[in-house]
Amino acid sequence: MNGSGAMSALAVRELVRQVRQPSRIVASVATPLMLWLFLVGGFSDAIGDVANGGASLTAYTIPGMASLTVMFASIFAAISLIQDRQDGMLRVALVSPAPRWSIALSKIGAGSLIALIQALIILFALPFLGVQITPLGLVGSVLALLCISTALIGLGLAMAWIVDSTQGFHGVMNALLMPMWLLSGAVFPVEEAAGWMRFIALANPLTWAHAAMRWSLGMSDAFNPVLAWGICVAFALFGAGLGVWSIARSRHTR
Amino acid sequence: MSAIELHDLRVVYRRKGEHDRVALDGVSLESDNEMLALLGPNGAGKSTLMGVIAQTIRPDSGERRTPTSRKGLSVVFQTPSLDLLLTVRENLRLSGALHGIAKAEADERIRDIATELSITDRLDEQVRHLSGGLARRADLARALVPRPTVLLLDEPTTGLDIDARRSFWDSMERIRKRHGMCVLLATHLIEEAERSDRVAMLSDGRLVELDTPSRFRASLGSRVLRVAAADGESIHAVDRWLKSMNREVFRIDSGLIVPDAEDVDLQSCPIDQVSLTLAPPTLEDAYAIRTTTGAIS
Repeated sequence: MNGSGAMSALAVRELVRQVRQPSRIVASVATPLMLWLFLVGGFSDAIGDVANGGASLTAYTIPGMASLTVMFASIFAAISLIQDRQDGMLRVALVSPAPRWSIALSKIGAGSLIALIQALIILFALPFLGVQITPLGLVGSVLALLCISTALIGLGLAMAWIVDSTQGFHGVMNALLMPMWLLSGAVFPVEEAAGWMRFIALANPLTWAHAAMRWSLGMSDAFNPVLAWGICVAFALFGAGLGVWSIARSRHTR
Repeated sequence: MSAIELHDLRVVYRRKGEHDRVALDGVSLESDNEMLALLGPNGAGKSTLMGVIAQTIRPDSGERRTPTSRKGLSVVFQTPSLDLLLTVRENLRLSGALHGIAKAEADERIRDIATELSITDRLDEQVRHLSGGLARRADLARALVPRPTVLLLDEPTTGLDIDARRSFWDSMERIRKRHGMCVLLATHLIEEAERSDRVAMLSDGRLVELDTPSRFRASLGSRVLRVAAADGESIHAVDRWLKSMNREVFRIDSGLIVPDAEDVDLQSCPIDQVSLTLAPPTLEDAYAIRTTTGAIS
């Protein structure tokens, strides 16, 4: 059976669910927005410009806040797999002739779209902070955010496949993703961090996704853009591959 | 070739730190264009057998042969498997899409099925607003959209009240008569098994016996004697009395059952504090005798 029809139907279902649960959108956008307002706003005058004077702290952290929004939306997207298992929707899909990759890719596709829309709300604050978004900046940001969401939803699906409860999933994802985000140059320039922290940050694929996004927006050229984009895309492919593989390999519905 | 052919299936659940549990042990059966009930207590292996047929559980050994691909197979699970945030129509369309059915064709089928199941006026309501019985019928509609040749019903009336259960089975009967399909029903309710063409009795992962409800009843003669008492001593005394008359006696949880008991003289029972009932045999009697572990034969 051609799985594209099943995939798009499942993806539409995710989008309809999203529209009928506006609290999910609020939860994904509000937390990064408040973090940005209260934490970064509080420090901005004390710290001054960052990234070799290229941007104020408030503007510099916007891509990081956009990626945090993507992270929260990705967690919600992956959690929906656990919810589907509890509601019985997962077993309906698993006993159908639809290929299993269509289940994973529908979650990644719809989840990424939702995450992107939410992240763009944050990103569009940049012009108000003195950073104009050029067409290249917009395309680059969208691609980088899509890479991040694809990777994180894929990783989340792999995790959700083996974790039974939403509480357990939250615990694992927070323990994994929050340090990953904090050590990715989301709120400070990695190139100016202490040696040990710089070392960890450079091994973090999210750092390179932020670098690619900031390069596109003309906010920082501290990293080689080709390398940054290469790692960013590889991260997305790895995450998506892991998510698809996790669901497709098992013969049990769990 | 039958719609379902299973040969010598064995499934073992292995969990770290626990003993292996044999869920299915040497189960073989065939079924075609009938309603076959899998009757057994919790843990008998009914759902595992369903899972093997639905290809969601891989057997450790044995064979599953069927001419129908997953495209011709649908499952109604123990609890409704519908997206509560979607409308009934959206759920049914999703079911069609998962089976590769074009939207126009799916819409046509949805119209027909909704009429048959009397849910036409609820098609555009979100599932979360439906009662348990209506959600069940919507779930059955979801399973029927692909027009399956094999329909698996896994304890489909769990949690439903008597009216909702009756309504579900009335709908099911109509659908079966009209479309004809192989229905496999996992249940622990005797009255639901009675509706089936054949009954497979399962116990501890084994297929104990497979026959029609009428033949199960006929195997116990025209009358059975059911013995119940408040204390075990009285049961033992009646057991001794019946055996002295060379009767075949089966001990079940609630007392004793004696098949072919039409000529037992109840007046000659030496024990007062017991309840003796001479009645036509039921499927429940046959089930109790065949699945009881402490049967005295």
